[in-house]
Amino acid sequence: MSATSYSSKVDVKARERALKVLHEKFYVVLKDILEGRPPKLVIKKRTLSNTIYEPERKLLLLGESVFERSLLDLREAKKFMQTLLMASIIYEALSNSEYPTIRDLYYRGKHTIRYRKLPSKNVGEENTWDEQSESDSVLRDIEVFTNVLREEMLILSKEKGKVVGDLKIRSGDDIIDLSKMGHGAYSIEPTPDLIDFIEVNAEFVLVVEKDAVFQQLHRAGFWRSYRAVLITSAGQPDRATRRFVRRLSEELKLPVYVISDSDPYGFYIYSVFKTGSITLSYESERLATPSARFLGVMMTDIFGSNKLNKKPYLTEEERRNFIIRAKERDIKRARELKEYPWFKSERWRIELDEFLERRVKLEIEALAGKGLKFLADKYIPDKIGIGDWIE
Amino acid sequence: MAVSEESFKSISPAEFFYKNKEIAGFSNPARALYQTVRELVENSLDATENHGILPIIKVSIRELEVVSEGAYYEVVVEDNGVGIPPRYVPQAFAQLLFSSKYILRQSRGMFGLGAKMAVLYAQITTGHPAEVVVAPIKSKHVCSFKLKIDIRENKPVILGFTTTSNISGKHGTVVRLVTLGDWTRSRQRVYEYLRRTAVIAPYAEIAFRDPEGNYLLFERSIDKLPPPAREALPHPHGIDIETMKSVLKSIAEKHVVEGLVESFQGIGRTTAIRILEEANIDLEKKAGELTDLEIETLVRVMKSYRDIKPPRANHLSYLGEEIIVAGLKKIFEPEFTTAITRRPSVYEGQAFIVEVGVAYGGKVPVTEKPLILRYANKIPLLYDEGIDVVYKVLDEKRGIDFKVYEIEFPAPLVILTHICSTKIPYRGVGKEAVADVPEIESEIESALREVLRKLRLYIQHKRRELEEIEKAVAIAKYIPEISESLYRVYKVDIRDTSTKLLELLNSRLKSFKISSLSSVVM
Repeated sequence: MSATSYSSKVDVKARERALKVLHEKFYVVLKDILEGRPPKLVIKKRTLSNTIYEPERKLLLLGESVFERSLLDLREAKKFMQTLLMASIIYEALSNSEYPTIRDLYYRGKHTIRYRKLPSKNVGEENTWDEQSESDSVLRDIEVFTNVLREEMLILSKEKGKVVGDLKIRSGDDIIDLSKMGHGAYSIEPTPDLIDFIEVNAEFVLVVEKDAVFQQLHRAGFWRSYRAVLITSAGQPDRATRRFVRRLSEELKLPVYVISDSDPYGFYIYSVFKTGSITLSYESERLATPSARFLGVMMTDIFGSNKLNKKPYLTEEERRNFIIRAKERDIKRARELKEYPWFKSERWRIELDEFLERRVKLEIEALAGKGLKFLADKYIPDKIGIGDWIE
Repeated sequence: MAVSEESFKSISPAEFFYKNKEIAGFSNPARALYQTVRELVENSLDATENHGILPIIKVSIRELEVVSEGAYYEVVVEDNGVGIPPRYVPQAFAQLLFSSKYILRQSRGMFGLGAKMAVLYAQITTGHPAEVVVAPIKSKHVCSFKLKIDIRENKPVILGFTTTSNISGKHGTVVRLVTLGDWTRSRQRVYEYLRRTAVIAPYAEIAFRDPEGNYLLFERSIDKLPPPAREALPHPHGIDIETMKSVLKSIAEKHVVEGLVESFQGIGRTTAIRILEEANIDLEKKAGELTDLEIETLVRVMKSYRDIKPPRANHLSYLGEEIIVAGLKKIFEPEFTTAITRRPSVYEGQAFIVEVGVAYGGKVPVTEKPLILRYANKIPLLYDEGIDVVYKVLDEKRGIDFKVYEIEFPAPLVILTHICSTKIPYRGVGKEAVADVPEIESEIESALREVLRKLRLYIQHKRRELEEIEKAVAIAKYIPEISESLYRVYKVDIRDTSTKLLELLNSRLKSFKISSLSSVVM
């Protein structure tokens, strides 16, 4: 059995479905051409103004507003070509039982169009796309247009999420014990839907934004002591990590806690786990974990709060040593967050106002600096114990 | 006129002009050769087009002998004009200021002086007589003259006269002069003069052979002549004391009332009587009997007399839009040409018409400033352009802003201006620049703005066309890519899809179609 001819049954099904949907959805273009109409694609807009927050479900979703991508519209002509090119490459990859990465798709589609400028007849050269951001962008459009996500089209993306904990999973034909990863961790695979949970011995999920802090907690045996599934997104969470967390929450009913830096960027990372991101709001329904809780680091953890009758976790001197002055862009970002509907709760208002007033921020590493013991055995368990989180 | 009558008392006009030859443009051998060609060619044009004949003019310059100041050149100019009646030939070519009539007619020649100055200059510098061959229309004879000027007496001297029968039935004039010149230094001027003449006279065929043996032919590109210049009486508002004196002299024996009616535009008996009464002149006087004081008063009254129709312009010989366009097209091969002939207007009692043409793009050279071709009464004005009224209109700071007309320099733009009038208000004696008379300036500006507006429309139209072509290419270049993409999914024929897409694209284009994809995509 060769490496390429092997594929699991789950994959075969996914391929068949994706091929069918692509074939059906893009048929409008061929139909337009055959019937003498300018071909066009009608796609939902992926813009902030068309990103809607649904308070009941606590999700960021794509609105109903659409735009037309027509070949005969000069501004959209190139994108039209790129969209069809991308769709056809994906279609081919699916037919050939391949697992392209988004980088592969970029290279497969990238080539030079040579043409004559008129009336000068000078030769012009133009690439189908120059940057991967261009091919990524039309890929997102295809996901929205077909309502099929890239994972479902068996497109792999570079994943950086990691997990350890007392649980066993099946990935492909292997069973992996996530408690036996040594000092390493299991990389969350790009197609987390193809994972089966076999055995779980955990009470909660702790998502740590920073990889370094994740490693420290792992080595300190945090997950074993507190019966946790420990996950890091290593910065902005990718789709697979978000989907994996969602499945832990949804299927295993585990509470999910997120800790990140105490600044607007950290707060936003939490919100991406919880409600979805603006650029990928079309995937929120599958990726977001509406029940995720923000455990910290909160502004009120640093300074305490009279209003909440809360004492600070840091002494005056520690504050002086650990906090960093906020930059102008942090302030700007905080003001933007205050305007997002999913940050418009009383509890978030207190945190953001505190930030805007103090104009300082704190990295999680700083808490580790106070002592790993403090972070692992006091700060996190205490906060979970007394319920000091933001829903 | 720069020369007053008093000057003629002590010396003859021929002597005077010889001593002041720079006035007529004969200041040095280089200038003289150019001026000789110019005077003879202009005479030839007047002798043809003013009489409804499509001009055929042959010009030849041949070097005969090198001398210290330059060289002797034989200049021959031949035309197919009406041909001067033989009895007038000696005076016409060898007597200065030969003309007793004071009528106005727009013509090229300067005071009827030019050709005679050329003859005079040739005679003085080389000692050769002028040879003139004439065959008037329908004449049975061809008459050849050898002429000199008696400078002291200002009289023609006939050195030779022969007559042969006109077997071929040709008509026209040939003038042959041997004159001192300097071809090397006048080459550029002569060529530029002929080229500019060819622009404004596309109805003429002009052939030129230069002393180096080069042959240049400006072919006729239009069979239409401008309306001939007709004679007109002077208008009272344009009169001055000297002219008035000459007019009165020519009607000396007539009663002054009758004389005024006969000699001026717009004056009937009643008006003549009113003017004379206002000037306190005895109506019974004869024209020759007026005193200097009376003449002065009469001129003052006439110039300011309101109740007279403005000068008539129907005697002016403008070119018309068609001829200007034909001339510009012939010489510059532009992609766009337009011209406008303004309605007649008046300054200081003189009727005038302004015409402006523009040529844009094509083979017009791209320059930092527009190329200006100035003409007055169909004569190209080559020098002193900096002080010409046209330059005031085009002044970079205060004049026309070309950006308004969507022209950004460097640009391929030629502007032709033509002023025709019974009296061109030249600046200075060089007769190469027109003074900035407000009425003329305003007409030039209006005409120029009008043609520039038309040019702007063209430029805008062309830009839209170019934009459409660019847009078409910008879309068409993606068609093969799209067809191939559709092939990957649906296995539909790539060629077929591309053809359909190109048809769709072409159906949306207004001014331009892509003939085949292979003309765009490689």
